[in-house]
Amino acid sequence: MLFWVYVVVAAYLAVVVGIELFSERAWKKQIAYAMILVPLILRVLLIK
Amino acid sequence: MTLKQEGRSYRHIVTAVIIVAIFAIGAALASVDFLAMHRPDVIHPSAGLTGTGMLSDYFEEIKGTPGDTKLYFYDSGVPGATVLLLGGTHPNEPSGFIAPVVITENLQVSAGRVLILLQACASGFTCTDPFEGCPQSYTLQGKSGPRKFRFGSRVSNPLDQWPDPLVYLHYPSGQQLSGFETRNLNRSYPGRPDGTFTEKVGHAIMQLIEAEHVDVAFDLHEAAPEIPIINAIVYHEKSEDVALGAVLELEMEGLHYSPELSPVNFRGLSHREWGDRTGAMPFLMETSNPIQGRLRGRTNEDLIVKGVSERYKQALESGALRIEYLPEGEPLERRVGRHIAGFKTILSVYNDAHPENPIVIENLPSYDELMANGIGHYLQ
Repeated sequence: MLFWVYVVVAAYLAVVVGIELFSERAWKKQIAYAMILVPLILRVLLIK
Repeated sequence: MTLKQEGRSYRHIVTAVIIVAIFAIGAALASVDFLAMHRPDVIHPSAGLTGTGMLSDYFEEIKGTPGDTKLYFYDSGVPGATVLLLGGTHPNEPSGFIAPVVITENLQVSAGRVLILLQACASGFTCTDPFEGCPQSYTLQGKSGPRKFRFGSRVSNPLDQWPDPLVYLHYPSGQQLSGFETRNLNRSYPGRPDGTFTEKVGHAIMQLIEAEHVDVAFDLHEAAPEIPIINAIVYHEKSEDVALGAVLELEMEGLHYSPELSPVNFRGLSHREWGDRTGAMPFLMETSNPIQGRLRGRTNEDLIVKGVSERYKQALESGALRIEYLPEGEPLERRVGRHIAGFKTILSVYNDAHPENPIVIENLPSYDELMANGIGHYLQ
């Protein structure tokens, strides 16, 4: 159960970071958001 | 004014799409590597193999999970002792896995039987430890060509057990360890059927030992050169006579092993819980593995296989290192050779002490043969 809570939390964070990435105007900050997004997505997909 | 704003907003969306696309390509390429770690290692058991099973045969609940793992049976058909050999409890300790692979691919048993669980922590073989920069695999030359083996994590994959608590409370003692240890199989014995993923694997192994009436059980490991228990045989108090006899015999062959009595108040380890809770006589052996050390320097396949670390050499030459580290390094041959020599000698001493319940094994290389011919000579 806790595992699936974690997956939902990771998915929620991925969506929030994704929204921030697309609303951010500075490209350097967009890169920072993308770096945060990658591990969240890989964890949601149960790859890493 | 509105159009200008819209123009700017298009620009940042375009850069966002480009950045996401670049990162997506990178992540996809990395994912191929990550997913490759889920492909099982190929093993070619010797002609002495009489059957296979799964760990889940002893605890149904782990069936089909990443904790399930293959069990190899070498049954001579002649009455005698039952021996269990565990490899891969910690998948980042290659000699603890390769020594059982060499045994699996060469073993003949003429009295008693040997059961081999090559990858006790199967989940740990599917990932590496974060921030360590370790390679995901290493290659050894076998008789049939290159053989690739996974180099995994010390603990179960966090994909299989999450989250780690701040403090790990061992069941049933209540002993406190760092949260990370909650995924360490060798801190999880005796386990429990309704526990965490790792506790269930530990419980399954305890069930296996009980169901198969194991007399002698081995758990093979490695440790960083600066850890005091390298090149050691750790034994439960009921294994003391056999362990000390084996240490003496090995010493006469020129191989030094420190005998280490299992601490009674350090719970969750194989040499403690197997000994306290089952009829088995447990032994845990350690070799010296530079890739686990803090001073190791460049972390690559060569360090796994050749075991040569310039940083450890420098530390040794400076006099700052007060531990055993040979200038030529700690090649995998030596580490595997030590494990196999320890395995054979302990069983030989066990036979002397229990002639009514013998275990007779054959066709395993000696330490000198492994050092002379290399591991590949004994891999298919």
